[in-house]
Amino acid sequence: MARYPSRYSALSLLRKGATRSNWPRAWRHHELKSSYDVVIIGGGLHGLATAYYLARNHGITNVAVLEKAYIGGGGSGRNTAIVRSNYLTPEGSAFYDRSVQLYEGLTEDLNFNIMFEQRGHMTLAHNDASLRTMRWRAEVNKLGGIDSKVISPAEVKELAPAIDISDRPRYPIHGALWHPPGGIVRHDAVVWGYARGADARGAHIHQGTEVTGIDVAGDRVIGVQTSHGPVATPIVINCTAGWSTLIADMAGVQLPITTRPLQAAVTEPVQPFLDPVIVSGTLHVYVSQTARGELVFGASVDPYSSYSSRGSLGFTEGLAGHVLELMPGISKMRLLRQWAGLCDMTPDFGPIIGPTPVDGFYVDVGWGTYGFKAGPVAGEQVAAMVATGAIPELIASFGLERFEEGALTAEKGAAAVGH
Amino acid sequence: MTSHRLPVQPGELIDRDDLVDFRWNGVEHGGFAGDTIASALAAGGVEVFSRSFKYRRPRGILTADFHDPNLFVQVGDEPNVRAGHRRLAPGMNVTAQGTWPSLEFDARAANRIVGRFLSPGFYYKTFISPASLRSTYQRILRRFGAGGKIDPATPPAHAGKRFAHPDVLVAGGGPAGMAAALAASHRGARVMLVEENHRLGGHLLYGGPDAAPPLAELCAQIEADDAIEVLTDSVVSGRYDHNWVGVVERHGGEEHLVKARAKCLVVAAGKIERPFVFAGNDLPGVMLSGAVSRLINLYSVAPGTRVVVATANESGDAAIADLERAGVEVAEVADLRRSSSQLVRAIGKGKLEAVELSGGRKVEADLLVTAVGWTTPTSLLNMAGDRPVYDPAAARFLPGDLPQDVLAAGGIVGDGPVESIVEHGRFVGFEAGRRALTTRAAWQRLTPRAEPSDEVAAESTDIPELPAAGHPELFAGPTDGFVDFSEDVKGSDVAMAVAEGYDSMELAKRYTTATMGPIQGKLGGVNAVAVHAAAAAATIEATGTTSWRPPYAPITLGALAGVDEDPVRYSPMHDWHVANGATPIVAGQWIRPDHYGDPSREVLNTRSNVGIIDASPLGKIDLRGRDVTKLLDFVYTNRWESLRVGAVRYGVMCAEDGVVFDDGVTARLEADRYYMTTTSGGAGRVWNWLDEWLQTSFPTWDVRTTAVTDGYAAMNVAGPRSRELLERVASEVDLSAESFAYMNGRVATVAGVTDCIILRIGFTGELSYEVHVPAGYGLHVWQSLLDAGSDLGIAPFGLEAQRIMRLEKGHFLVGQDTDGLTKAHTAGVGGLIKVDKADFSGKPELLWEGESGAPRRLVALQPVDGSVVPPEASQIVDSATEVSRTIGRVTSSRMSPTLGRSICLAIVDTPYGEGGATLTVRLPEGRDIAATVLDHHVHLDPEGERLRG
Repeated sequence: MARYPSRYSALSLLRKGATRSNWPRAWRHHELKSSYDVVIIGGGLHGLATAYYLARNHGITNVAVLEKAYIGGGGSGRNTAIVRSNYLTPEGSAFYDRSVQLYEGLTEDLNFNIMFEQRGHMTLAHNDASLRTMRWRAEVNKLGGIDSKVISPAEVKELAPAIDISDRPRYPIHGALWHPPGGIVRHDAVVWGYARGADARGAHIHQGTEVTGIDVAGDRVIGVQTSHGPVATPIVINCTAGWSTLIADMAGVQLPITTRPLQAAVTEPVQPFLDPVIVSGTLHVYVSQTARGELVFGASVDPYSSYSSRGSLGFTEGLAGHVLELMPGISKMRLLRQWAGLCDMTPDFGPIIGPTPVDGFYVDVGWGTYGFKAGPVAGEQVAAMVATGAIPELIASFGLERFEEGALTAEKGAAAVGH
Repeated sequence: MTSHRLPVQPGELIDRDDLVDFRWNGVEHGGFAGDTIASALAAGGVEVFSRSFKYRRPRGILTADFHDPNLFVQVGDEPNVRAGHRRLAPGMNVTAQGTWPSLEFDARAANRIVGRFLSPGFYYKTFISPASLRSTYQRILRRFGAGGKIDPATPPAHAGKRFAHPDVLVAGGGPAGMAAALAASHRGARVMLVEENHRLGGHLLYGGPDAAPPLAELCAQIEADDAIEVLTDSVVSGRYDHNWVGVVERHGGEEHLVKARAKCLVVAAGKIERPFVFAGNDLPGVMLSGAVSRLINLYSVAPGTRVVVATANESGDAAIADLERAGVEVAEVADLRRSSSQLVRAIGKGKLEAVELSGGRKVEADLLVTAVGWTTPTSLLNMAGDRPVYDPAAARFLPGDLPQDVLAAGGIVGDGPVESIVEHGRFVGFEAGRRALTTRAAWQRLTPRAEPSDEVAAESTDIPELPAAGHPELFAGPTDGFVDFSEDVKGSDVAMAVAEGYDSMELAKRYTTATMGPIQGKLGGVNAVAVHAAAAAATIEATGTTSWRPPYAPITLGALAGVDEDPVRYSPMHDWHVANGATPIVAGQWIRPDHYGDPSREVLNTRSNVGIIDASPLGKIDLRGRDVTKLLDFVYTNRWESLRVGAVRYGVMCAEDGVVFDDGVTARLEADRYYMTTTSGGAGRVWNWLDEWLQTSFPTWDVRTTAVTDGYAAMNVAGPRSRELLERVASEVDLSAESFAYMNGRVATVAGVTDCIILRIGFTGELSYEVHVPAGYGLHVWQSLLDAGSDLGIAPFGLEAQRIMRLEKGHFLVGQDTDGLTKAHTAGVGGLIKVDKADFSGKPELLWEGESGAPRRLVALQPVDGSVVPPEASQIVDSATEVSRTIGRVTSSRMSPTLGRSICLAIVDTPYGEGGATLTVRLPEGRDIAATVLDHHVHLDPEGERLRG
């Protein structure tokens, strides 16, 4: 039986290969205990990162992560894996800057190669107005010490030769916001890395365990009901997406969230020809080429509320039209697969992180279209909040109470597609 | 090379009189019309078509059809062409993909030697440190990417799309699909029959001599039936809600999308043959039985010279008959129905040389054929909500519960001789016809028609069972082989993933990438599930498949995109602007003049004489009815009840969250007739907004909205001499200041054109008239005004001059000076918010913002040094704090030619926005400048004397 946990390295890979011996489980099975110090609902990136940082940074290890299906099967596995920090508001860019920092160190921290490829992130401006927004973002970013600047069409062409910068397109390119640290990550790897790290430090990951109720006594949380029986706990963290409002309802907490699908698609692989992530707000599309050679496309959220994860034909038609507007030379590439993920949209497009009117019931929800890139920092900050009882500065502006106090975050001021 | 072409075969698809020349990796080859790329190459002795993704193993023909994972080639500038499907065309330049330096010798095949170290997910476990080498490693990893090459200079191939409205759409043109189409047509339905291959017939096509008579009969009947539209070389790509069905017509490499609203969908997709997992199962020379039958019967190509056949079903038996007929020496037949472990491994270096059977017996062979069972392509059924059920007795997944408008026919459901399959297809087609016609009749009843609609007998047909035949469960043999050929994933890889904790099928799929390649799960999906189940000590039923998602088969982006339909809009005066030296600017969908050479001069001329701007892109909405004022009161924040006929009022529209999303004026032209203008970009949005409220909340109100943006050309005549000018060309209107005051509107005749609308409003801050004329007369009126004003100093001005003048006047632009969170108070239009109105969009939020105070406010700002124009988006910082904190930004800035100094609008945090305050603006280059906040938004003529004169 292999030693646990097993350290991953090139050397260990060689040794295992040479001896043809097996790797131990990346995370283990556990029986569901009758009580935990902390119960995290949702075994996605946010839930697992929270469990990891609770253990790593605060020594809190008697933690259960409850996942109704398999880990990383929701938004964590359906997003387009883009990471960046060139946000529009000072609070937004500071928060995501921390996330990029964490992503940069995550491979070593987790001893799991998450394949963060910092090939740069380019947001195209097709008209005066969007070029103005790019300048705005660049100026905010500059003040926050974030590597972000406006570049010319010629520079766009140099960084991404497949893009048509001529005046032929319906939406010619006037410039772009260029953010070198941005890039893409192997999204599943982040989930698995955190799961392995959290498990190694003592957290219990329970897949196939659905939360069916939250027990509240007076105004305090005392436990949860699950498909595998009740669990007593003084702290419950709602780290779900898509169904976050339904989970909050179980504790009697109303969230100002509507759930909308966001569609994405992937092509067959071709040889590498596109390095940076390309975003066009005007055309509602973002494109990147994975290490495997596929193009991954995403769009804005659909204009209706739904819990459906099925894609539509109209989406792929519009998407293809928009992508070919940017890169007319790829019309012979083939779309391989389409899907949808669920986005929990808040009125100001900012997340909701913090305590709720029910003592011990915390939320880390409402991530809209930004949940993946925020996973590490959200986990780190939520863990700190739960462990210390104080709300860290980085997430202070994301509390639920802001909707009553009117101190909305300003990220909605950005273009509709923010990837 | 030796020819592997056989003598004429009875059902061959090739035309031996039509020779086709093409190139393969730079070498001239020949084939016949009707050949696929693969069959022509196979006939010429080519055995290796590609190198595998990870280990760079040589790969040959496996299935010889569209879904063959080993037959992806580059054809000219088109990557990932299916050589098992694509027909040969003269002059084709075919090359192997992603090989280096050549197909015969791929240097990266060294990966095979270290293969044992490249376990699934190996990349997650290595290159963890040092971080500095990671990007180098990533670059190397990317060079191993699969697939062909894209040339960014490829000309765009936008293909037209079409709509179709078949009563019954049949996916699959084999015997069941053909029979279903005929029966549905017989019942009176219009049918679309879609077949992936180049000919109808499905497995009958390559079914040998026995299959020919029934196929000929079905083909003749289809041919004779005008109600059946046949699409071959086409595929049903997806089934979406309400039977919205995507069909891709392939014509060689040129694809067209057909969007069909099928009243009933019949899925007759047949069965896909499954490979067997054993050592060496990917060696060139190892084929599935279907591949052998296709090569021999369709293309007259001998797939080998000495063959071992491992068969568990009639498809394998048929292949044996085909091989014998073709004169291939059948060295050994291993009947896997008797014992499943007879096939141990395929042996060979680069291609098959021998087959090891149980007991260590080796048989020399250059061809190994397996026939071990089926995958049911339930993809379209899954998209309709079905979850297929595994039947261990049949060793395959079968359809579960289908919705009313989807039926399954033939091999996807069960097995039997051709007659049974055809019989099943007939019943299904007959029932599909009934359901479709019932739906058609129901739809017709919803439409008022002169003639009575078709009525259909309502009784349904009981579809007889087509039971699935028993089949041994054969997925993997005693040795380890490939589960997914595209992704180079072996059975042991899946088992290892399970052991490492990736123990649900979805996790194992993602970890190993099995079924994630271009074939998705069509070929190896069930094998992956079976291997996973075995490793996890679970059943196949409990393990389940991963989700099938659209499209069923990949579609080119060109076909999906179709012809670009995004309109470019020009005003009726566009040609005049071009002829007169206008510099164009893209403004949303519109192309309009930015300036005619010198915006500053255009401003000064307008301020001192008269200028004219083409304002046609303005959104225009005609509103009629008794309740229009109610609607205006609801969508605008200010009061509209009191608007008398002949008056114009400015209004701001807020969304329900109180955020400003549009502004404009509305004129009351007659008692029940109003004319609304919106921002150019907001035209469609505002119209939707009005109609949404009318339809959802106020359906009883008497309001009719008509978008007339394109119906009117608009031009603004501005400047101190604008009245004088207009008096020369307008009639039936008294333009004197007394009878036509500021903020009034009249219907008048201009330059002989009746029914023009004149609004006396002033975005520029000058005495000005906005003249809206029927679009067809736009150029005539424009030209007439220019002619009439030549002695008044008239000159056109463009968007830039207008932007300067509106900034001088302090008017904000929605979307530039406001953002997605700017509520009406922040925008400085608090005076226009009438919270005592009964209700209006955004009222609760604005009431609250009014009480609690806006956190930010829009202010007019003037740099102390008036020669500096801080670029828009410059940050305003609190220089008192140690770390510069942003407290706002410049939203608009220009050099004012009228004032001779720079002027700005800015959004700042409220405490910093008091009139007289001095703020620090950080220029993008890093320098700080001081700027003063004005008491009001207006830089020029705050009293509005010019405007009201």
